[in-house]
Amino acid sequence: MPKTFEEINDKIRRKQAVVVTAEEMIRIVDEKGPARAAKEVDVVTTATFGPMCSSGALLNVGHTNPRMKIQRAWLNGVPAGGGLAAVDVYVGATALPEDDPCNRVFPGQFQYGGAHVIEDLVSGKDVSFRATAYGTDCYPRTSLETMLNMKDLNTAMLMNPRNSYQNYNVAVNVSGTRPLYTYMGILLPKMANANFCSAGQLSPLLKDPNYRTIGIGTRIFIGGSAGYVFYQGTQHNPGVARGDNGIPRGGAGTLAVIGDMKRMSPNFLRAVSITGYGVSLSVGIGIPIPILDEDMARCTAVKDSEIFAPVVDYSEDYPQLKGKPLGHVSYAELRSGTITAGGKRIRTAALSSYPKAVEIAGMLKDWISRGEFLLGRPVDTIPGAESGIVFKPLNMRPPKKPPVGGR
Amino acid sequence: MIQKSVIMHFPRTLVDKPIISHLVRNCDVEVNILQAHISPDEDGHLFAILKGGRNEIRNALAYLQENGVRAILPAKNLVWDEKKCTHCGACVGQCLPSAFAVDAATRKVVFDAQRCIACELCIPACSYGAIESINENLRRKGEL
Repeated sequence: MPKTFEEINDKIRRKQAVVVTAEEMIRIVDEKGPARAAKEVDVVTTATFGPMCSSGALLNVGHTNPRMKIQRAWLNGVPAGGGLAAVDVYVGATALPEDDPCNRVFPGQFQYGGAHVIEDLVSGKDVSFRATAYGTDCYPRTSLETMLNMKDLNTAMLMNPRNSYQNYNVAVNVSGTRPLYTYMGILLPKMANANFCSAGQLSPLLKDPNYRTIGIGTRIFIGGSAGYVFYQGTQHNPGVARGDNGIPRGGAGTLAVIGDMKRMSPNFLRAVSITGYGVSLSVGIGIPIPILDEDMARCTAVKDSEIFAPVVDYSEDYPQLKGKPLGHVSYAELRSGTITAGGKRIRTAALSSYPKAVEIAGMLKDWISRGEFLLGRPVDTIPGAESGIVFKPLNMRPPKKPPVGGR
Repeated sequence: MIQKSVIMHFPRTLVDKPIISHLVRNCDVEVNILQAHISPDEDGHLFAILKGGRNEIRNALAYLQENGVRAILPAKNLVWDEKKCTHCGACVGQCLPSAFAVDAATRKVVFDAQRCIACELCIPACSYGAIESINENLRRKGEL
């Protein structure tokens, strides 16, 4: 007998819902089978914690006196933009101060950027704020220098256009020349190591591979507080090749997520300085999956040995947008410490923190068990494999001379 | 046989003296140099693991002291700040002697200081700034 979101939420309100983490669900389905597990379990919590570059903070800093329509702004020297209304600014996680040496001294250290601003704000630290404007009759002020603190902001939304990737590449460096400094970490030459970045069997979209329950309006754990999925993420690519179990064999679905930064914690929002690459933000996300039926019980019990990721060369294939994966390996192999690819045994390391994902899945389980966190029934689904969505590269064309007046 | 990690600070007046050669030939200790910065007319430093009998190591350290070499015996070759660590494991892939490893049961990163050879390849691999070289750590605390 299938269950509905409403029935499960009623049980959560009465504190009678049976909530388990995805790790626990694997054991339950192994022991009891999916049919019985579907009857007994109401919610499975999933989670992930890792660098997610497409993240940022949308801040409303409040109006100055006299008023100002901010044109350019800097938080602790990091440019914040947006081209939005007067005192709304968006600081992207990867933004860097204009005077950052970047990779001029290679590999660059990228010690401070947008993600650090976000972590500082969430930690309650003061952040310097500088802004300039051209001045209008209604917004006459042209410059501003002050300090900001989270408690003074009207609104602080973490608004991340692409998080929680459904599966991802395993990165290697096939070349024999030098270490590569990538967003997938340091890759030693001649495939001396392989880095991967997914929570695998705990990762939200790998446990709902066809987006049956995770959709627009799903209530989630984000950065230590409750938030929402507000759309499919950018580069959402549901049409990639899938295994017999329906699990994508490479990066596929993504989520756009939002939450109130004022209630978040630096334990689950951490700035990262990726040597030679740049700054990013590690985001903790947890998503509850309602066990509506046997199919959802089966999906949530998929384990690391049944999830496969492509091994991709980052010396040539990835940067040049060409080539094919060197093979596919399971997350069980990746977690064992070594994989075999391209005829070679390779040491592995994760960039996504499994222990943090376990912690988040556990916290979310507690919140739901205590009746403090209800499931959000999606108001709409996100596109699935049947949508025909194709993820296209940029169609690069010779630029045309702009007409006089710039239009 | 014991081994001790030693940071040696050489005043510039000693840079032309064969101090390490003496440790090997006369004190009978093995010197495994992990890092060194020596150049004429500058104070130098050298980070090494000394290996030998207890008495030989004691004699070697006494010789260093008598000759004006400041010897610091760090407890670890590297400082891992577990509070900053998120236990992702990025360091593990860079650590050839497996001083950093993932505990199979807890899936958390563990650090075995005995295995660390202070190659410092893990430092740029840690995006959270949770790993610091012993030299940098001592310098920051004003002890070097």
